[in-house]
Amino acid sequence: MLLDLSEEHKEHLAFLPQVDSAVVAEFGRIAVEFLRRGSNPKIYEGAARKLSVSSDTVQHGVEGLIHLLTESSKLMISELDFQDSIFVLGFSEELNKLLLQLYLDNRKEIRTILSELAPDLPSYHSLEWRLDVQLASRSLRQQMKPSVTIKLHLNQNGDHNTQVLQTDPATLLHLVQQLEQALEEMKTNHCRRVVRNIK
Amino acid sequence: MELSEYVQKGFQMLADPGSFDSNAFTLLLRAAFQSLLDAQADEAVLDHPDLKHIDPVVLKHCHAAAATYILEAGKQRADKSTLSTYLEDCKFDSERIELFCTEYQNNRNSLEILLGSIGRSFPHITDVSWHLEYQIKTNQLDKMYRPAYLVTLNVENTDSRSHPEISFSCNMEQLQDLVGKLKDASKSLERATQL
Repeated sequence: MLLDLSEEHKEHLAFLPQVDSAVVAEFGRIAVEFLRRGSNPKIYEGAARKLSVSSDTVQHGVEGLIHLLTESSKLMISELDFQDSIFVLGFSEELNKLLLQLYLDNRKEIRTILSELAPDLPSYHSLEWRLDVQLASRSLRQQMKPSVTIKLHLNQNGDHNTQVLQTDPATLLHLVQQLEQALEEMKTNHCRRVVRNIK
Repeated sequence: MELSEYVQKGFQMLADPGSFDSNAFTLLLRAAFQSLLDAQADEAVLDHPDLKHIDPVVLKHCHAAAATYILEAGKQRADKSTLSTYLEDCKFDSERIELFCTEYQNNRNSLEILLGSIGRSFPHITDVSWHLEYQIKTNQLDKMYRPAYLVTLNVENTDSRSHPEISFSCNMEQLQDLVGKLKDASKSLERATQL
């Protein structure tokens, strides 16, 4: 699958051959850093001064790179497809090689970052448990009521969330049984076939 | 067991065959248990033709006294001798004492369950449901191709009677971790019950 680069995108990237490869490599590093942490406009100004161009030009160049990298990572295009896609830009072989390397080096991390943008449900982090026996309460003395207290740690959007819950022994066994069945499902023929064939 | 003068007075009236004949006594006693244990019970529980001849104020007093005593006895897990002693002090004859103890014994289980369910505790897990999905792509990311579980815990709150749900997603390793830990808890429980 080839990338479809818009005219505007191509224009922005056209800045890259005008600087030497060390600068392009630096832009690449900035691009990935911006993906990790968010953009920092001051960097554009510093670079613009050093290169004697407008900061807009630098910004477009870096953003062009960011877009190139994210689109390629999102679609997980092959090396060959990447090379063919940027071929239309008419860059030197050296620049093409640099861009390819930039893609290959960073795509795993970029995909991880992109996966964090997905609609987010709280996800499981860990679980602590404790066994208790209730002996008495204000309304009833001389009890022997066993229970399991559970502290469930969940993550959502980077926030750590804790829930304290309780259950009785019978329900605990039921939970274990149900969730074991859930795990077993992945091993069934049906699921195996789906995993094998949808790739 | 410490009981107020109000309760004591009520019982003394209840003990008096002049105020309550055998039939009325039994009816009032049953009404007291019913008020406590039957969720649908209301004021009509005292609306029996054989109780009509008794002054309503007296009726209410004795009914309240009996209910109070029953709750206190249930809370303290009173045995037959404790009950008998108190009732004797209130001048109950042996027939009425026997009747009271029998009624109490018959309703004891329900009473203790009711009392045991009162109180605050953490939200209680009642059930779990899960679904397994195979993630293919999102609008940000293609070719994900990974299985994921969505687990929902059904939870009950004792006070608010609300039934919130706790849902979370997890991958296979995380679910294995979760199940492993719950299995540890249940093994621990098994060992503890064998002690």
